[in-house]
Amino acid sequence: MIMHTPIMMTTLISLTLPIFATLISPYKKRSYPDYVKTTVMCAFITSLPSTTLFILLNQETTIWSWHWMMTQTLDLTLSFKLDYFSMMFIPIALFVTWSIMEFSLWYMNSDPNINQFFKYLLIFLTAMLILVTANNLFQFFIGWEGVGIMSFLLISWWHARTDANTAAIQAILYNRIGDIGLILAMTWFLLHYNSWDLQQMLALNSNSNSLPLVGLLLAAAGKSAQFGLHPWLPSAMEGPTPVSALLHSSTMVIAGVFLLIRFHPLMETNTMIQNLTLCLGATTTLFTAICALTQNDIKKIVAFSTSSQLGLMMVTIGINQPYLAFLHICTHAFFKAMLFMCSGSIIHNLNNEQDIRKMGGLFKTMPLTSTSMIIGNLALTGMPFLTGFYSKDLIIEATNTSYTNAWALFITLIATSLTSAYSTRTILLTLTGHPRFPALTNINENNPALLNPIKRLTMGSVITGFLITSNIPPTSPPQPMMPFYLKLSALCATALGFLAALDLTLMTNKLKMKNPSQVFKFSNMLGYFPTTIHRTIPYQNLLMSQNLALLLLDSTWLEKSMPKTISQAHITASMTMTTQKGMIKLYSLSFLIPLTLALFLMM
Amino acid sequence: MTLTYMNIMLAFTISLLGMLTYRSHLVASLLCLEGMMMSLFIMATLIASNTHFPLVNIMSIILLVFAACETAVGLALLISISNTYGLDYVHNLNLLQC
Repeated sequence: MIMHTPIMMTTLISLTLPIFATLISPYKKRSYPDYVKTTVMCAFITSLPSTTLFILLNQETTIWSWHWMMTQTLDLTLSFKLDYFSMMFIPIALFVTWSIMEFSLWYMNSDPNINQFFKYLLIFLTAMLILVTANNLFQFFIGWEGVGIMSFLLISWWHARTDANTAAIQAILYNRIGDIGLILAMTWFLLHYNSWDLQQMLALNSNSNSLPLVGLLLAAAGKSAQFGLHPWLPSAMEGPTPVSALLHSSTMVIAGVFLLIRFHPLMETNTMIQNLTLCLGATTTLFTAICALTQNDIKKIVAFSTSSQLGLMMVTIGINQPYLAFLHICTHAFFKAMLFMCSGSIIHNLNNEQDIRKMGGLFKTMPLTSTSMIIGNLALTGMPFLTGFYSKDLIIEATNTSYTNAWALFITLIATSLTSAYSTRTILLTLTGHPRFPALTNINENNPALLNPIKRLTMGSVITGFLITSNIPPTSPPQPMMPFYLKLSALCATALGFLAALDLTLMTNKLKMKNPSQVFKFSNMLGYFPTTIHRTIPYQNLLMSQNLALLLLDSTWLEKSMPKTISQAHITASMTMTTQKGMIKLYSLSFLIPLTLALFLMM
Repeated sequence: MTLTYMNIMLAFTISLLGMLTYRSHLVASLLCLEGMMMSLFIMATLIASNTHFPLVNIMSIILLVFAACETAVGLALLISISNTYGLDYVHNLNLLQC
């Protein structure tokens, strides 16, 4: 029988229990964070049978429950769509969240508001699962806004720090710009397709109109930090590391890509939107990979890496391979969350040092963290037969053999080699060499709350790719045949980036640092994008408005209209017309000439 | 034209030449301007006396008045130049070139 429907509902509802627990009575017997972590672990375990049944039966279900409102033309119900995407994503999201919550038990141990932190993480997880399982756009929008608000609250967790507040507002603003696109799409769907239910919208894909898809693309660009709306993602690293690991690597930022994947039947027929998505994704992946090369904050490097992988997912959607993009979402969650957790472990152990120029030599002192970091970076760059290989290599193969924009393909390959370059740089600077941190920092990784999540996610990074690709129902067929050099292109690009970075670092390690070149400054200042958009344009606006409001009338009427104009006109006229050179003696001497002439003429 | 008139006209011509061909000091030009005015005044008075036409004396009075005004203006200019540059060298007066 189809048992996985009530089991999945149990999973989802059991997650809300700790939230209600804080409202009813504070839990005194065990610590609340422990309770939350155990709840998420149980939710993960109870979601596994449902997913296994789904893999076995390949039976999608939709749960229609409570009737919200019924207007004359629109029915809104609380409906959950348990199809391939949500069933595969829920266990992965729960697993990663469970690991991150256990990690936060160690990381946020000394925080007085740790209960509130866990409650926020749980509310975020609930909103994300609402987003993933939503069958109509209204419920999707609830989840979308929910993750946006929780992102704001969690980024500004240390709200006494102005940078954190600025970063949170920045995240909200950029997400809002994307929300305009989402609301545009929702309105268009309401007006033209008369429904917000996914089944009805996706069935009418014969005449695909570009306007709602452009709205959806804008929403995805806002939420998934594509080029043009990307600065909020590196700034969001102001939040604590568990927040970065959960929100800004695995779950929230993929909401935009997930939206486009949900609407893939509409995008199949519209080649213009596919081209737009492809170019946007390719630009994003290359630009953020360039920016990641010269960053010095370890969390920002991983944030740019996330942004680059998100661009790669958009590229995949752009070549009409939504299932590959979803596979990349699932595999990316593992190693990216683990990279963030390793960064958090390093940061805490080095007494809150985040600059990789001040780390080094951690290979012997933090063996588990450095091992996991290397495994995570290898999985990220697409080392054969680790997790990332199963999705990333398939994506590169699909782009190589599809009838696509050659420029977008080329820069995706360049971004692939840059991925391995900055990963190599990170590993070399943080883990190898001599330590560059103060000598009396006590480094220990003996706490099981730190070690177990990292070990779990390491195992996940190694085998999940294989497990998932062996067990999923057949989706779009992979490319069966391609030339040998195309098959190896991803591997060669990665190896090229790795070798170049390794050689450059080892050869120039002992040289004196020269003045940064223009390209370095471009990369380090994030392409001058935040400088221009956040500072220059508002500054010019404010300057112009100040001049218009206060300065213009006074200076015009009192100074410039009469006196200065007259004097300026005279000066200009006399300078134009005069031919004098000030040779007074010559001029007065020349008076003699007509005199003598007159004298001689009269005589 | 008697010798007196020729004498005075010669004085006028020499003063004119002196005014037009000065070397370095502006005050030399002004002095020669005064000489011109003086010679013209004496000529006018002599004409009034020799032609027994006393009504022409008014020309000499008015000439003298205007010469005095002109001298005042010239001296004012000289003093302003001297205030700015310290001396009345003519080389200094080249501000109007463009």
